[in-house]
Amino acid sequence: MWSFIARSLEISTIFLLAAIGELLDQRAGVLNIGVEGLMLFGAASGFVTALWTGSLLLGFVVGTALGGIFGLLHGFFSITLKADQVVSGMGIVVFAVGFTTYWADRYSGPLPAELSSPRIGGFLSPMFFLAVALVFIIWFVLSKTHLGLKIKSVGEDPSVAEATGINVVRIRYLCVIVGGLLGGLAGAFLSLAYFGIWGHLLTGGMGWIALALVPFSLWRPTMLLAGALIFGIVWQFSISPEAIAPGLGIPLGIIRMSPFIATIIVLTVISLPRIRRKWGLMKPAALGKPYIKE
Amino acid sequence: MNLPGLKLEKVLVLTGREAVKISVYSIIVGFVIFSIFLLLEGTNPIDAYKHIFSFAFDPSLGLVPTIHRAMFLLFATLAFILPLKAGLWNIGMEGQLYLGTVGAFAVAYAWGDLPSGVLIPLMLIAAGLFGAGYGALAGFLRGKLGVNEIVVTIMLNLVAYWLILFLIQGPWAGPTEFRSRELPASAIAPEIWEVPFTVFLVLAISVIIYFLSARSNIGYQIKTFGSSSSAAEHAGMNPLKISIFVMVVGGAIAGLSAYHMWAGNPTFYLIPAPQTYKAVGDFTYWGIMVGLICLLNPLAAIPMSIFVGALKEGTSAIVRRLRLPVGLDLLLLGTLFLTFVAFQFFHRYRIKRIRGKG
Repeated sequence: MWSFIARSLEISTIFLLAAIGELLDQRAGVLNIGVEGLMLFGAASGFVTALWTGSLLLGFVVGTALGGIFGLLHGFFSITLKADQVVSGMGIVVFAVGFTTYWADRYSGPLPAELSSPRIGGFLSPMFFLAVALVFIIWFVLSKTHLGLKIKSVGEDPSVAEATGINVVRIRYLCVIVGGLLGGLAGAFLSLAYFGIWGHLLTGGMGWIALALVPFSLWRPTMLLAGALIFGIVWQFSISPEAIAPGLGIPLGIIRMSPFIATIIVLTVISLPRIRRKWGLMKPAALGKPYIKE
Repeated sequence: MNLPGLKLEKVLVLTGREAVKISVYSIIVGFVIFSIFLLLEGTNPIDAYKHIFSFAFDPSLGLVPTIHRAMFLLFATLAFILPLKAGLWNIGMEGQLYLGTVGAFAVAYAWGDLPSGVLIPLMLIAAGLFGAGYGALAGFLRGKLGVNEIVVTIMLNLVAYWLILFLIQGPWAGPTEFRSRELPASAIAPEIWEVPFTVFLVLAISVIIYFLSARSNIGYQIKTFGSSSSAAEHAGMNPLKISIFVMVVGGAIAGLSAYHMWAGNPTFYLIPAPQTYKAVGDFTYWGIMVGLICLLNPLAAIPMSIFVGALKEGTSAIVRRLRLPVGLDLLLLGTLFLTFVAFQFFHRYRIKRIRGKG
């Protein structure tokens, strides 16, 4: 039971890292639907680096950095080249699927035993606390600082922001790169700490859940924390139901669907007019639109 | 972006000819970048590309699989194109394909002793209906509540992936593990000129979608809704109806591709192992790129699908023949997707040289 909770919290960690990065992107008006791709890059490169160098830390660094590089690439496509953000994000996912299959699948298998990640009390990775701290940092930046104000105004109306002297391009780049770094870190944590293995398309849809958590959170970091905790439990239950309900005998295929069905239900409920009236949307008005100077 | 001596100029109207030119350039650049990976693998890129295309279009080797693959892609492309004309991103072709699979196979297993002339149309109808229903779900949620259809369709893809896994492990399990039972002989697609008849079905669908969107009243409504949903509402159009309509038609087309894939290719005639059906499902994402390259023109999608289908078949062949790492074929397609994204820039701008003053 305790180990189930600890494992759920680690899954929540992955969702949190990836989703808070995406939330930051989106508050600046950039939609990056390529979270799954960022995570794949982070997971694959982190794993292979750790395998080659024998250093877990280096694995995390490289995984995070590669996520940042592809965040930057998404920024280059969607901010500088003004490509459609959905298409660019899709491109990153498709490239990630191809690249990680080609490059990392030959190393499929577990990490050597001496590279197992540290866990507090043998249970829970300290990364969980880092992820929670990051949520509060980003919440603080967005709601209490001058930089946060700039980010939000860029997400709401970039031309007005530009007119008040904010460098829209710079703010957007900053956010997509940080978002990319966090997506890469989430992936590296998945392959290096949570699983300790690499296998074909290891992320298995987690990046898409992280993407869905952002509209679920109504673009509020604190709601995101709640969502990630809930979905951590749902996901962990779907991969090891016997830890909670032994002998239930639900077929694998059915149980593994549950997080995705839950996502659709939750997104539907949160979109009901009654809920919308009660909880104001913080959806950035300029989300998904390339900024084109007139 | 300011470069010395060069000036950016906005493209106001993108003509088809310019779009073709841009696509050709983007593909060439993609090939050049991919050559780096081929060189890293110790393969001469020129030879590799020659092999890819000579295999893919050789009538005795790859031509039939290329056509089959290409037409599968055309189904996916059409399923993507129509909803996007209304401004909806159907990223759910994969899930709609799987649901179509469920429909078609359920019919074939239940009434396998019916003659082909009855069974096959029933399978097609079931495949289309199941795919349409799956699409309708996303269309309804978007039209009624404004739930983001990208997220919903992707979630539905993942749900459907596990549904198929459940079926081939449970009720439809065949003698080999992780595969379904074989289709009855009467369910197999009859061939016309050595290719399954569904090839002609999808070609007909592209023509229909072309006329539907270019010449019909509903096509006009879809286009209006796609360019401005508020203007469409002012004009008295019903956003819910349009959202559901495009997703139903898109879903039905993607659903039909299930019959084409599994009953039209002799290597299958069953639902294969998860890795294989997932690879087929992943291939539907190429419909997005093909659709966008063709500026959502269903007729232009035909040659483009053939090109991409040939690339896919040819690259898989050289991976086997030259013993290159698995996944290199996926990497080529991924590289092309990225260069295509970068070249979208030229859909908006053209670079002009400034003469005289400097």
